[in-house]
Formats: sequence, structure tokens, C-alpha cells
Amino acid sequence: MEPATADTALGYAPLLLTVLIATGVGAVTLLLGIFVRPSKPNPVKALAYECGNLPIGDARLPMRTRFYLFAMLLVIFDVEVVFLLPWAVNFVSLGLFGFVEMMIFLGVLLLGYGYLWRNGGLQWD
Amino acid sequence: MIPAQRDIGSLLLGDLAERLPGAVRELSRSCGECYLRVEPERLKELARFLKEQQAWQFAFLANISPVDWLTRAPRFEVVYHLRSLVFNYRLGLKVDVPDQSLSLPSLTGVWRAADWLEREAYDLFGVRFSGHPDLRRIMMPEDWQGHPYRRDFPLAGRAAE
Amino acid sequence: MGLIDDRFEKNFATDAVDTVLNLGRAYSLWPVAYGLACCAIEMIHTMTARWDLARFGAEVFRPSPRQADVMIVAGTVTHKMAPILRRLYDQMPEPKFVIAMGGCATAGGPFRTYSVVQGVDTIVPVDIYVEGCPPRPENLIRAFILLQERVKQMTIAKSPRVPAPPIRIEA
Repeated sequence: MEPATADTALGYAPLLLTVLIATGVGAVTLLLGIFVRPSKPNPVKALAYECGNLPIGDARLPMRTRFYLFAMLLVIFDVEVVFLLPWAVNFVSLGLFGFVEMMIFLGVLLLGYGYLWRNGGLQWD
Repeated sequence: MIPAQRDIGSLLLGDLAERLPGAVRELSRSCGECYLRVEPERLKELARFLKEQQAWQFAFLANISPVDWLTRAPRFEVVYHLRSLVFNYRLGLKVDVPDQSLSLPSLTGVWRAADWLEREAYDLFGVRFSGHPDLRRIMMPEDWQGHPYRRDFPLAGRAAE
Repeated sequence: MGLIDDRFEKNFATDAVDTVLNLGRAYSLWPVAYGLACCAIEMIHTMTARWDLARFGAEVFRPSPRQADVMIVAGTVTHKMAPILRRLYDQMPEPKFVIAMGGCATAGGPFRTYSVVQGVDTIVPVDIYVEGCPPRPENLIRAFILLQERVKQMTIAKSPRVPAPPIRIEA
């Protein structure tokens, strides 16, 4: 095998192999299970597991849409950290330019945060 | 000055004779505790008095323990154990359960703790409490037959007979 | 009866599958975490470094019966708990085994009273009784070893599927 360089896709071959093996092992064991396992269904087995107690009602309850908004906000401000981390690691080598760049980015985000706050996006009710 | 635990029997008796005459039949003492024998019809009134009166403040219902005398009439007696957390008093109320109805007035309206304690007394002894919001079994399975703490209940259960 | 299970007469192929399958089953017995009384403490001890049940492949205590093979009934079963125990047993996938651990689960133990089930075998089929009050961890490990021997006798070929007589491990 020729030495992999950064600009050939061949460098990712071991990764592909790992993915294939992992998927294969999972798929084969699951399929094997379907074939060899005994099947003795009963109504109690089909019940929801509630530590042996009889389940009360359905677990599929309506959720407030508010949760989705909060989840989206979390994602936005979570991704911010993903940008911050590489910058923090290379803080010295990026120098003043990196610092200013990052402050602009954070400033934009902060503006968005202020807008959100003022419009009551963080209010529960 | 706050009276000591050993003196509260006679003080209570005096106070009750004045404010709720006829509610208490007698006072008995045992092992440093004092017990009032209460008329079943006056129980609720007396309980509310003991809880709300500034001089007593029996705010804590510690336990409800029925007694099965089996051969005596009336057969069942219920003992309410009260505490006054402010003055550190202990007091027992003994009530005879009428044999015909096997029922006492529920004290859930006075102490919230009475809810489960009365359910327990009903479950294990079969003493009913009129006015209880939810008088179900609490210890034994819902489909259980009989009341296991009664003296005439077979110790090993009905199945073992 | 599954897709293969209990459909073919005994032949070389079922024997081969049996060998592999039983090896896997015997050395990965997953118990339900089901402690009812003081025997549960000994059951926990059996898992600790000193006795180390993991040596025998049974270290994965499952909090859900869906993923478990063995139910160790460790302790006193009351009448109120009995329907719950039965439901958990019913929710376990096949094949499943029951170890009655200690005197209470075996026969009610010292509690000959109205509230205690006199032996868990009145509710679920028991494979192994472990005597003792509570049994020592060694005896529970022995129960697992004997259960493994039993699992290795299983087959996916057509067979009467009569439950084997229970084993009793003396204290």
C-alpha cells in the first residue's frame, strides 16, 4: 500500500473498513438472533415495562412546543463553543487577528442573544 | 412557665371539663404517658380542640393503633398518639369502637397524617372511618380477604388452615 | 417455536448450532437485578471483587427483564409482590431461568405467616434452589455453574421441552 497523503481519499480506507466491520457485526448478530431464538409471545410480554407494575396510561404524551424552541436555542449557543475551542487551542499562533475575529463573531452572537432576550424568547410562559 | 409532661394529665382534664364538658370519660397513666378515654361522638371536636388550642398545640398525629381485645365488649379500641412539638408533650386518646358499626369519625380533616394511618387501621383491623376520603387497603393486596391483625385471624393465613 | 427453533429433527446441523449457541448462552447469563430482602446483599457480594461472579460470565445485572436470562429471586416474596414478580418473569425473553435464593424464596423461610408466599415455585417455575439463610456467595456461584451445565444441554432441535427437575444446592 502506498503511503497515504492528505489529498488522497485512500487515507480514509481504514475508517471505512471499521465502519463496515462494525455494521456487519451488528447486522449479523441481530439477524442470527431472529433465526435461532425461540418465539413465545404473550400479552404480558407486550406490556410496557413499569418495574412490574401495570402501566397507567400511554407514554406518548403531548409535549409543549416550547421545548423545541429551547432545544434550538441550545444548539445555536452550543455550536458557538465548537468554534471557540479550536481558537482557544491555537490562541497564541492566531495572535491579535484571531482575537479580533473571534470578538466580532461573539459580538454578533451576543447581539442575537440580546434580541432573543428582549423579545421574550427565554420566557417559559 | 410551661407545665411538664407529668403534669399535663390533670391540667388537660381541668381545661377540657371547662371547655368541652362530657367529651372525656377518664384519665389513665402508664409508664409516664397519659391517656384520655374519649367518647366516640366527641372525638373530632376534641381532636380539633387539642390541635388548635394555643396552650396545647398537638399538631402531630404520630400513630393510630387499634387494639383487638377479642373477648371484651366493645371488642376494638383505637389509640391515637399525639405529640405537641412546641411543648414536647405526649398524649394518647383511647376510643372504644362501637361494636355494631365498627366505625369511628375520620380525623383526616384535622390531621392530614390520619389519611394513611386510618387506611392502615382499616386494612389490618377492619375498623372503618366515616368521612375518610379514600378508605382503601394500604398494606395488603387490594383483593385480600379479611383483616390479618385481628386476633381470630389465622397466623399463617387462610391458605394454611 | 421460532424460525429455526423447535422445527427440525436432531441432525448434525442442529448439533453444530447447539454447540455454539449454548456456549454463548451459558457464559453470558444476564440476571435481572431483583433483590427482595437480605439475600440481595449476598447477591451483591457475589458480584463484588472478592467473589467476582464475572468470572463465570454472569456479571451484567440488567435493570430491565427484557434483556435478562436469569431471575435470582433473592429474598422474601410477599403476596403483594407476587403478581409483580410473575409479571417480570413473563416479560423476560426466552429462554429464561429462575434461581430461588435462600430459605424464603425456596419455601417461605421462617415466615410462616399470612403475608408471605410459601415458596416462589408456586408462582414461577424454579430451576435451582439455593439453601441457606442467606446462602453464601459460593453457593450462588455454584448455582450459576450448575445452571450453565443445564444450559449446555439445551437444543434447538425438535424435543419435548420438558422442564428438567429442579436442582437443590445444600447450604
